[in-house]
Amino acid sequence: MIHLQEVKKSYARGDQAVVACAVDRLDVEAGEQVALIGRSGTGKTTLLHILAGILRPDRGQVEVVGQRLDRMGEAARDRHRGRHIGMVYQTFNLLQPFTALENVLLGALFGRGAGNESRLRAEALLQKVGLGDRMHHRPAELSVGQVQRVAICRALVNDPELILMDEPLGNQDKATGGQVLDLLLQIADDGGKTVVMVTHDPESAERMQRTVDLASLRGEVVPAGGEAR
Amino acid sequence: MRLLSISLRNLRIRFVATVLTMMSIVVATALYASILTMAEQTEARYEGSIGGYQAILGPNGASELELVLNAIFNIGDSPGLIPLEVCQQMREQKRVGRIRRTRVRYAIPQARGDSVSRFNFPVVATLDEMFSKFEWHREPLKFQAGRPFHYSWEQLLELAEALARHENGVRAHEAEPPPRPQLQKEWRECVIGARVARSLSLGIGATITPVHGKRNEFGYHEHHEAACQVVGILAPTNSPIDSTIYLPLGVHLLIDGHEGGVFVDKLVPGKSKDMVKELPTSAGRIGLTAVILDPLDHLGPRILRSEFGTHPEAQVAWPQGVIPKFLQQIGNAADALAVIAWLVLLVAAVSITVAIYNTMNERRREIAIMRSLGARRLQILTIITGEAALLSLFGALFGIALCHLAQWGLQPLVEDLTGVYLDWAIFRPWELYLVAGVTAVGAFAGLAPAVKGSMTQVADNLAQNY
Repeated sequence: MIHLQEVKKSYARGDQAVVACAVDRLDVEAGEQVALIGRSGTGKTTLLHILAGILRPDRGQVEVVGQRLDRMGEAARDRHRGRHIGMVYQTFNLLQPFTALENVLLGALFGRGAGNESRLRAEALLQKVGLGDRMHHRPAELSVGQVQRVAICRALVNDPELILMDEPLGNQDKATGGQVLDLLLQIADDGGKTVVMVTHDPESAERMQRTVDLASLRGEVVPAGGEAR
Repeated sequence: MRLLSISLRNLRIRFVATVLTMMSIVVATALYASILTMAEQTEARYEGSIGGYQAILGPNGASELELVLNAIFNIGDSPGLIPLEVCQQMREQKRVGRIRRTRVRYAIPQARGDSVSRFNFPVVATLDEMFSKFEWHREPLKFQAGRPFHYSWEQLLELAEALARHENGVRAHEAEPPPRPQLQKEWRECVIGARVARSLSLGIGATITPVHGKRNEFGYHEHHEAACQVVGILAPTNSPIDSTIYLPLGVHLLIDGHEGGVFVDKLVPGKSKDMVKELPTSAGRIGLTAVILDPLDHLGPRILRSEFGTHPEAQVAWPQGVIPKFLQQIGNAADALAVIAWLVLLVAAVSITVAIYNTMNERRREIAIMRSLGARRLQILTIITGEAALLSLFGALFGIALCHLAQWGLQPLVEDLTGVYLDWAIFRPWELYLVAGVTAVGAFAGLAPAVKGSMTQVADNLAQNY
């Protein structure tokens, strides 16, 4: 599902190049649920963006869902992300003027298309996460937990093979966060989806099948299935 | 959900800014559509209205355009009077001096100056030949109801003689001058144009009272003694005929207050106007405002113009020569106004660019979110350009609506001032092209902010936590 080799991404800061992310090798099998941990500034979010195709590495091979992202143009990576990858962010990233249903449909619009089938799927997902009666509410009219569930539905609406999450529970209390993570992992388990989650929270990381410390990816090979939950 | 529905939503959430930006598009479109409409309807109206008028005989001292505008389009005050004898010479094909006048099919005298109703529908006093001999686009005028009134050339001559006898008696200060002819009951009939009937809800048998001058003007008064019964309603011609009330010349000549004024006194060297008024007059000096001529030869109007070139009191105007020149001038003015309208549209387009461009900074995160969901740069470009296009489309549609509303509201005023009847209910194909053009201009104006939006850095802007 994910194969990274000799990947490096750096930014220019004045005359100096700052390495934002460096991974010698990372392999994630299809259906695996992996937690990415690491200190701040180790490049967890940058790695997530490389996996999503939002950023292109300076060098190295990036193969995600059977496609070499490092060889693809920007538009192709956008299309690949829309169709095969679902993303959930710490800040939810819902668009405020749109209702819960419309936010989920936005994911479909830029993915596999927002036709009638997608609408039915979006409604079914919202029903499944307990938001059947909140579909036409805007984010400002929903609680934090409800907003997070909408974001999860948006990530799942295209039935992606890979779900990438960037601190998805960071803005919630532990009880709510735990429920949301339970829900997400259950949906991922049911659909056989691969999940990569960036987190600072050891409890959340423990619930994943494998935890990968980003620092360990620099200069060493971490085999698949290295650390079971 | 479609990309354009996102554009629409973005316009809605910035409703006030959207409306304010749209206003300039509305004004520019309405202005341009109004200019085109006026130019088009003026041209159609003027070209279509001169179909029955080959030549107009009118007084010297006025321009040909003034004669034509007054005699055909009911615009402006009567530029003066010509004596009946000139009309008589034309009708009888008499030589005047050494010149043998060009032959005409008809020479129908007209006198005007009165009007009816708040619309100031002009009253034209004439003969029944207006409905038997006059040809509107080579056919007599058609009636949608009723019949013509009856008042012949012979009746006019007879009345003119009687009026002259009475007038001469008065001028000679006779103790008992010959009696002034009385207004015959059977003359008090009129024929009205289709628009007069429609606007005033008049039918056969209704009574019309001419008024002197125009409402709110000095000297305005009603001629109750000359109230006429409507005996005929003309079929629509889409010309000033529709707004005209025709009544017998005899009624006009015998209206109270017209007594001495119906004669045109010849100027005599060495005598003042007041002194001339004391001199004997004749039936041939009855004053007319115009005579409608139809020369037999197609070169006739131009020949007549040159024949009357040295006439001391009358001249001939050639509508087919005057009106195209007039329209050319209007066309030039319309072109100049159209340039102004396009400049307003250009300013409106710039305002769209600025308005959307200014929102780009606050929308970077929104765009980054859409990009993270898989939106391609081209789709972002489409959404933002779509906003500008939709804004312009709505502005253009409101502009067209405003143009029609203005035509409806200003219709009576424009017709009164220019003789052009604005048909506000007609939608023309070019209005669609205008809407499409304005939308395209708007979309183009949205390109700059759209390019800026599409260049938004996804990772940088997603990282910001607003």
